[in-house]
Amino acid sequence: MKKIQRRSFIRKSATAAAAGALAAAVPASALGEEKKSRIVVVHGNDIPKMIAVGIEKMGGWGKFFKEGKKVALKPNLAWKSTPEQGGNTHPDIIRAVILAAEKAKVKQIVIPENTCHSERETFPACGVLDAIKGTGAKLYRPKGNDYVSVEVPKGKICKKARVTRDLIEADCLVNMPVAKHHGGAMLTLSMKNWMGAIDNRTRQGWHRQGLHQCIADFSTYLKPTLIIIDATRILLDRGPQGPGPLAHPHEIIFATDPVAADAYAATLFKKKPADIPHIRIAAELGVGCIDLDKVEIVRVEV
Amino acid sequence: MKWLRRNALRLAILAAAALCAFPWADYLPMGTKVPPAWVKAVLPRLSPLLNLFGALAAREWVGWTLLLGVPLLVLSFFRGRVFCWKFCPMGFLAETAGLLNPRGRKIVRRVPRLNKALALVIVVTAACGYPLAIWLDPLCIFNGFFAAWRTPLAVAAGATGIGFVVILLLSVLMPNVWCHRLCPLGGLQEALMEAGRKLLSRGADEDAPRVMGGSMTRRAVLAAAAATAGVAAGRTMGANAARAIRPPGADLTRFNALCARCGNCMAACTYKLIVPDFGETGVDGLFTPVLHLRSRRVATDPDFDSYCFHDCVKCTEVCPTGALRPLTLDQKHAMPIGIAVIDRSKCLAWAKNEYCAVCDEYCPFKAVRLERKGDVSYPTIDAALCRGCGSCEAGCPAEPIAVVVRPLKVEEMKR
Repeated sequence: MKKIQRRSFIRKSATAAAAGALAAAVPASALGEEKKSRIVVVHGNDIPKMIAVGIEKMGGWGKFFKEGKKVALKPNLAWKSTPEQGGNTHPDIIRAVILAAEKAKVKQIVIPENTCHSERETFPACGVLDAIKGTGAKLYRPKGNDYVSVEVPKGKICKKARVTRDLIEADCLVNMPVAKHHGGAMLTLSMKNWMGAIDNRTRQGWHRQGLHQCIADFSTYLKPTLIIIDATRILLDRGPQGPGPLAHPHEIIFATDPVAADAYAATLFKKKPADIPHIRIAAELGVGCIDLDKVEIVRVEV
Repeated sequence: MKWLRRNALRLAILAAAALCAFPWADYLPMGTKVPPAWVKAVLPRLSPLLNLFGALAAREWVGWTLLLGVPLLVLSFFRGRVFCWKFCPMGFLAETAGLLNPRGRKIVRRVPRLNKALALVIVVTAACGYPLAIWLDPLCIFNGFFAAWRTPLAVAAGATGIGFVVILLLSVLMPNVWCHRLCPLGGLQEALMEAGRKLLSRGADEDAPRVMGGSMTRRAVLAAAAATAGVAAGRTMGANAARAIRPPGADLTRFNALCARCGNCMAACTYKLIVPDFGETGVDGLFTPVLHLRSRRVATDPDFDSYCFHDCVKCTEVCPTGALRPLTLDQKHAMPIGIAVIDRSKCLAWAKNEYCAVCDEYCPFKAVRLERKGDVSYPTIDAALCRGCGSCEAGCPAEPIAVVVRPLKVEEMKR
């Protein structure tokens, strides 16, 4: 256990250092007192192209996928829902990312997802089986020993969690949720998506102890290398399961700051980011920047 | 070698029948093509006892699959027990097991012929609506053994396979007794063969009365007794209806009679919710399928989805007798199997004023009504929308579980 923490600590400091180095490369005029968060919003209809353009604006795949490294993807595939119904991350996005990772000759691609409906129902329905077809990506639902216990040092309520081992051991962790309405958490965005990274007992514990605080607590621990939020179509009500009324922003959001990404995505639902408790608490815990005025939003049309 | 060549067809049928009944989906990785669920029901549906008389007892048109029971009737009328000697996988195994005990070959002569009487009892009681001993059908027993090999393997899971083991043991101890003296499907064919001979050769010779065996009055008495027993059984069987949750499409009041205990529904359930009953629904309900949702599971595996998935009707597709009526998804969505009840003293919202509403999140039927007061949503169940699937029960984070599905009462049943 300690070993993992140390490893993840080293990894995190390395990413922080990399981020620092990157910030240094940005012209000094762009830097205020604090390091400015930056998100890329791509609008369009051609998903593979949107991904390619968005990543290019984020600095290119080379920044995230390195040869011989392990890549973990965490899409949201919780419910039996077709790609059109918007309950899950669009399979085309998953495929585009897998293909990019294979092109970068990464060592391994894993897609662990603790579903809500049985994986036997959700995986075939949501199109992900087609998305991984012909690739080396390993899609599975973690059970039993696939989880490890970790401590969440900065957590207020959630101090311990059982997390999918593959996610914390990955060199590159891509959080790729779908943006949708959620009965309990108000919205499902990138931080809420970690509820598919923990085991059912931890998940139920969060509901018992205060969902928003726990989501925010956990986001201080598990830091994604890259966030890709699927907002090509968004479920406006009857979430998280759906089906329900949809809107079609036709957007994909790219970021490294989970709070900034979620804050922007919340505006697609015509909500103020601070009105979503877990986003507000996460910002207070220093996970990221909630003030969209201070976030550099790069908009691209494809 | 000679034996192999002589029995090649029977071996092939045996293998095919076993492969069809086996729960492949449990053992192969996800995404592998497995035989569709209805394949499991083909073999038992070939038996008119299960298929035709089951449907007769259920008073239910269960679809064109009923026709699968007809060939055996016709075949036996004209050709006698050809099915038994050429095709029946259970008969083949019983006969082969008998070869192990060559010295016991003569025992069969001392055993009275019960097969036709058993067939008569099943047919007559089926006509009364409460078939007795339908579970003695050999194709059902054969199927039950293979269906029992579903994961996780447990002693309880194997209950439906008991008949198979009993027949094999019996066949070793008393060779041929099952096929020639006991099997009700054999008895039915024998009776039809005799009727066929009588009708087809009417006036041609005086053989018929001798072949028939047994007098008409004896059979009439037996039939009357069976009918009385069937009606009496019907009176007692309904009493246990509301004790357990049954799989969807079940006829609650007569389920114990209609069910052949073939294990098909248990093997077909992706979620392993259907388990054999050990007395919950009475002695007459032994080994019938009951649905155990999360609160009833003996060992609760937290990684397990223990609810009756709303978009699944596999168990109803594989029932050979009509005890579970084949349902479409729309029919299932309209038919409750139980009703969820919230215990407010345990519910996080009602008891502790905490926001939760996971029951609503999981409910596929939007049957959870949320009443918002301040920051907390207080759930109630809309009994008119609830289908008793147990999604809420499976998701409930309260300890102990605050929402539990109770069995339907007879008067709440829609069928």
